[in-house]
Amino acid sequence: MELHILEHSLKVASIAKEGIQICTHGLIKLAFLPSKTRCKFFSLTETPEDYTIIVDEEGFKELPESEHLSVAEATWLALNVVSGGGSSSSSQPIGVTKIAKSVIAPLADHNISVFMLSTYQTDFILVRERDLPMVMHTLSSEFTLLRVVNGETVAANSLGVTNGFVKPKLVQRPIIHPLSSPSNMFCVTSLDPDTLPSVATLLMDVMFYSSGVKEPGAASDDSGLICFFSFSLIEGYISLVMDEQTTRRFPNNVLFTSASGELWKMVRIGGQPLGFDECGIVAQISEPLATADIPAYYISTFKFDHALVPEENIQSVIGALRTNESAGQ
Amino acid sequence: MSGSKPDILWSPHHVDHFVICDSELSLYRIESVGSAETKAGALSLSEETAATLLAINSDTPYMKCVAWYPKHEPECLLAVGQANGRVVLTSLGQSHNTKCKDLMGKEFVPKHARQCNTLAWNPMESNWLAAGLDKHRADFSVLIWDISSKFAPEASIATEKIRLSSGDADSGLVVTKPLYELGQNDACLSLCWLPRDQKLLLAGMHRNLAIFDLRNTSQKMFVNTKAIQGVTVDPHFHDRVASFFEGQVAIWDLRKFEKPVLTLTEQPKPLTKVAWCPTRTGLLATLTRDSNIVRLYDMQHAPTPIGDETEPTIIERSVQPCESVIASFAWHTSSQNRMVAVSTNRAMTDFTVFERISLAWSSTTSLMWACGRHLYECTEEGGEGGAVDQDITTKMRQRAQSRYGHDTAQVWRNHLLAGGDDPQLKSLCILKIWSRGNRGTNSLWCILASRTLSSPPLARRRAGAVGVARTDRRMRCGSTARSGAWRCSCPAGSSAGPEIDVEPFLKSLEQEGEWERAAAVALFNLDIRRAIQILNKGASSEKGDLNLNVVAMALSGYTDEKNSLWREMCSSLRLQLNNPYLCVMFAFLTSEPGAYDAVLYESSVAVRDRVAFACMFLNDSQLPRYIEKLTNEMKEAGNLEGILLTGLTKDGVDLMESYVDRTGDVQTASFCMLKGSPGEVVKDPRVQCWIENYRNLLDAWRFWHKRAEFDIHRSKLDPSSKPLAQVFVSCNFCGKSISYSCSAMPHQGRGFSQYGVSGSPTKSKVTSCPGCRKPLPRCALCLMNMGTPVSSCPGTGKSDEKVDLSKDKKLAQFNNWFTWCHNCRHGGHAGHMLSWFRDHTECPVSACTCKCMQLDTTGNLVPSDSI
Repeated sequence: MELHILEHSLKVASIAKEGIQICTHGLIKLAFLPSKTRCKFFSLTETPEDYTIIVDEEGFKELPESEHLSVAEATWLALNVVSGGGSSSSSQPIGVTKIAKSVIAPLADHNISVFMLSTYQTDFILVRERDLPMVMHTLSSEFTLLRVVNGETVAANSLGVTNGFVKPKLVQRPIIHPLSSPSNMFCVTSLDPDTLPSVATLLMDVMFYSSGVKEPGAASDDSGLICFFSFSLIEGYISLVMDEQTTRRFPNNVLFTSASGELWKMVRIGGQPLGFDECGIVAQISEPLATADIPAYYISTFKFDHALVPEENIQSVIGALRTNESAGQ
Repeated sequence: MSGSKPDILWSPHHVDHFVICDSELSLYRIESVGSAETKAGALSLSEETAATLLAINSDTPYMKCVAWYPKHEPECLLAVGQANGRVVLTSLGQSHNTKCKDLMGKEFVPKHARQCNTLAWNPMESNWLAAGLDKHRADFSVLIWDISSKFAPEASIATEKIRLSSGDADSGLVVTKPLYELGQNDACLSLCWLPRDQKLLLAGMHRNLAIFDLRNTSQKMFVNTKAIQGVTVDPHFHDRVASFFEGQVAIWDLRKFEKPVLTLTEQPKPLTKVAWCPTRTGLLATLTRDSNIVRLYDMQHAPTPIGDETEPTIIERSVQPCESVIASFAWHTSSQNRMVAVSTNRAMTDFTVFERISLAWSSTTSLMWACGRHLYECTEEGGEGGAVDQDITTKMRQRAQSRYGHDTAQVWRNHLLAGGDDPQLKSLCILKIWSRGNRGTNSLWCILASRTLSSPPLARRRAGAVGVARTDRRMRCGSTARSGAWRCSCPAGSSAGPEIDVEPFLKSLEQEGEWERAAAVALFNLDIRRAIQILNKGASSEKGDLNLNVVAMALSGYTDEKNSLWREMCSSLRLQLNNPYLCVMFAFLTSEPGAYDAVLYESSVAVRDRVAFACMFLNDSQLPRYIEKLTNEMKEAGNLEGILLTGLTKDGVDLMESYVDRTGDVQTASFCMLKGSPGEVVKDPRVQCWIENYRNLLDAWRFWHKRAEFDIHRSKLDPSSKPLAQVFVSCNFCGKSISYSCSAMPHQGRGFSQYGVSGSPTKSKVTSCPGCRKPLPRCALCLMNMGTPVSSCPGTGKSDEKVDLSKDKKLAQFNNWFTWCHNCRHGGHAGHMLSWFRDHTECPVSACTCKCMQLDTTGNLVPSDSI
C-alpha cells in the first residue's frame, strides 16, 4: 500500500452563516471557475452551524479577511492512501473503514489529531504539517511513503527521527462524544466538470440559500432533519454530498449515480464543538465500523464530525457504537 | 471530445469511411471529386476529394470517447464511453448482421458512476473492450468488458437494486460484471493494448503509467510520471510508446521503462492529440489546443533507445492543413502520410503530409533523391560533353585515374596526365621541374620580389643562387644576357652555362607550333630577323596561319623614328590582333623606353613570359614594384601561374586558397603543397584540409590503391604524416606483443615482418611466441600456425629492394597475412579467408555462426581502381 503525501498546504476555516455573503464572491470563483484561480484543493461543507472551508494556500487568497471568518491556526497536509493497484479482490469496504485500522488507529495511538474529508473519489486524511515527521514515522512500517512534488510522485525520505517517541499504549477507545443520527438520507455523488456550468446556479442555490425558508439550526431540532451539504473540487474532481431530496432538483443523467443507487445515513459526532486538538475521535467511530465491515464516509467540519453509513446498516452501526459508548462509561 | 469539440476516426477496414463525433456520430465516405461532383451535398475536403454524409447517430448523449470495433464483422460497430462511465455499443448505417443486432444498444455499467475517459478494443481478442474511468474511492478505474457476455444471473439481481435507472427497463442489455477489474483507487486517463501480447494493457493512470498483465492481474509494472495522457504505441516499433502531459510529449521504450527515452520540446499550450503515423515509421503528429498547425516529429533516424545515451536527432516541422483552428485529426490507415483534420466548426480537410526530400550527390556526380517510398535518380538529358564533364570532380577523378601528380620523375608530364588543356596547370608543372632537385628555389621569386631587389645589386647577386644571378648578370651584359631571364620559363635550359643561348628554347617553341610566342621571345631578345623568320616558318607550316606572313611584313617595317606612320598605325591597329603575343610584340616596338605597361599588363600573356620581360627591361626600382603588384593580382585571382612569384610559401598557400575557392581543385592543391619546402606550409591548416579532403574523395571514389599511393607519396615528402602503428599483435598466453618480443631479443635478429608477411617457408618460420614459446594461433582453414606462409603460393624469400613488385608477387604476399574477425576473433591467412568468404557467409570455425564478412561493410566493396 502506498501513502501519498500531497503537496497542498491546506487551511481549515469556518464562515459563520450570517457572514456568508461577504465570502460568496471568492467561494463561487473557487467552486465554479477553477481556471481563474490557481487553487487545486477546495472543499465547502455546510452544516447547520456554519460553513467549513478547506482550501489550499492559493485558494485561501480569494477569501476576504472578516470577523465572520475563523481559521484554524495550523497548516494541514492531505494524505491519501493508494492501494497500489495490486490487489484485485473485488469486495473491499470503501471509505474510512478501509483505512481505519491501518492509518487512523495508529495515528490515534500516537496522539496525532486528524481531520477527515471523504469525497466521491477518495478519502483525504488531513494532518498538521508539524506532525508530519511523527506521521511518517508511525506509518512507514505499513506503507510506502510517497510525496508529491510538482505533480511528480517521489519517494518521501524518512526524516530519521525515531528517538524520543514513546511507544504508544494500545488502549480501548471508548466513544466519548454524544452521537446523533438525523433522519434524512444522503447521496454521495459527483458530476462531469464539463457539465458544471449548466448546474452552477442550482448548486449556488443549494449552497447559499438552503436556510432561506427556515431559521438556521431549526431543521435539525424540529423534524430530525439536518441541513448538510458538501461540495469539493479537488485536482479537477468534483464531489458532492447532499440530501436525497436535493438530488431530485438536478436534471437526469447529470449526477453520477452508482449502479446500486446506494443511500447513506449520517451519524453526527459531538455535542460541543470538538476543536482540533483532541485525537482519536475518528478512530473511535471507524474502528467499530471496520470490525463490523461496514463502509463509511467521514467528513470532519470545523465544529463537528460526520460519518455516513449505508442506510440499511444504520441500525447495526448505532448498535455497534452504543456498545462502545457503554464500554467507555 | 466534449460537445463542442469534434473528433475523427477512420474506419479500420473501409479505407474511405470515417466518423466525426461530437454530440452525435456522423459517418462519411470520402471520394475523389470526379465521382462526387454529381452528388449534391458532398463536402469538399480538398481539391481532389469530397465527403458524403452516409449516416448520423444521435442515440448516445454525453459522449466522452469513441472506439471503432477492429474486426471486419460487424463492420460499423462503435463503442461509446459516456460521461457517467457507461459504455454503450452502437452502430452507424444499416447492418443486417444478426450479431451486430444483438450487440446494438448493449450497455456496460460500472459499479460507481464517473466519467469514462478512454476506450480501447483488444486488437486480437476483439470481444474485449477496455474502458478507463475516473477515480472513485476504492472502485476500479480500468474495466475490461466482454461484449459477448450474456448478462450473468447475479447481474440480474444487481439490476433489481437499480433505483435511479432511467430507461433501464430493457435490462437485458445491461452488463455490470466486467471481465477484469484493474487499477483500484486510481483514475485512468488513457489506455492502449500492447501488440507484444494480447493480454498486456498499457494505462495512463492518475500519476503513473502502468502495464497490466491480464495473465496475472495482481501484478503490474508501473513508472511514476506526469505524462499519462494519450498513451499510444508506435505501430512500427512495438516497444515504443508516446504519452503526453500538458505541452510535453514523452517517448518511452517498454524495454527500459524507468524513464522516458526522450521528451520532445515543450509547447506553450497543452496538447490534445498525439498520433503515430501508421504508414510511415517514426513519424509522430501532435496537436495543441487552439492551434491551426499539426506538429510532426520525425524519429526515423533516431537511434534505438537501448544503451545509446547520445541525443537522438529528431526533425521537427509543422504542417497547416487548413486555415482554421484544428479540433482533431486522424491519420489514414493505409494511404501514405494522409490525414483528415477537422476544425472546431466541423469543416474537414483531406491532407497529405508531403514527405521530406533528402538529396545526395555521389562522388561521381550522379544525383539521387528520396521522397516517401520512392527513390529517384537524376539523369542529365543530352549529357554528352555537358556540364558534368566540365565539373571539377569529374576532372579530378579522371586525373586521379591517369595518375596525375604521381609522375615525380618527370613532373612536367603531369599536366599531360591532367588532360593537358589547362594552361595554369601547365605552367605549374613546368615550374615544378625548374624547382626540381633544388627546393630552395621555390621561393626564389619571392626573394627576388621582396628583398633582393630592394637592395640591388649586391644582395641580388647573393640571393640569386641559380637563376637570378644569371639574369642579373646578363641584364648588365646587354642583349644576349637577357635570355637568362627566360630560363625561368624554359624547360630545356636547366643545365646551361652562363652564356645562354635562347635558340634551343625558340626551337622547342617552334616544334610545339607556338609560332607567335617564339616570335615574341625572339623579338624581346632584340632579334627581329629571327622573329620574322619564325613567323614565316609558322605561316608555311602545315596548319599555319597565312596571316603570320602579314604580321612578319608589318614587323619588317619597324623603324626607330618616333613620329613615323608605321609607328602610328601599329600602335592603333595592334589592338585588333587576336593573338596576345603578336599584340605585345607591336606594343613593345611602339612603346617609349621604360614604359612597357602594354606588355607587362597584358593578362593573356603567360606570367612567366611577362616576368622574364620585366627582368630584362625594367630598372631596379620598377621591377620590385611590378613583381609585387603582379603577385598580389595573382593571389587575388588564384592564378596558378602566380606560384612562380610566390613559391610554395605562405603566400603560395594564400594564392592556392583563392584557386581552390574558385575551382575546388583540391587535388592539384594537395600535390602542389606537399612539395612546399618549409614545414609550416604543409602544416598550414588549409593545406591539411585540402589533403584530407582529397583523400576522402579518393576513398569515396573507391580509389583505394590511388589513395595508398598518395599516402606513400605524401609520407615521403612529409614524414610527419606517416601514420602510427595501428595494430599490435600480442601473444594469447604471455600477453606480450609479438613484435615487441622480437625487438627485445636482438639476438634473434628477426623483424616482425617475418611473422607472416614476407617470411620464406624455409628461413623464417616462426610459429611460436618469441616470449613464451607457446604456439601462435592457427589459421582456421589450413590449421597451420600463424607465421606459416600459405603453402600454395611460392615463397618470396628475396626480400631485397630489387624484388620486382609485380602484381602477382604482391598479392601472394598479402595472402600470407594473418587476419581475424573483430567480432568472433577467429581468423587465418588472408588468402584463405578471402576464398572462404567468396562461397560462405559464416565463419569457417565450426559451430561459430558469426557472419564475419558481413560485419565488414567496406569488405564487401570492390575498389574501382587498379594498382
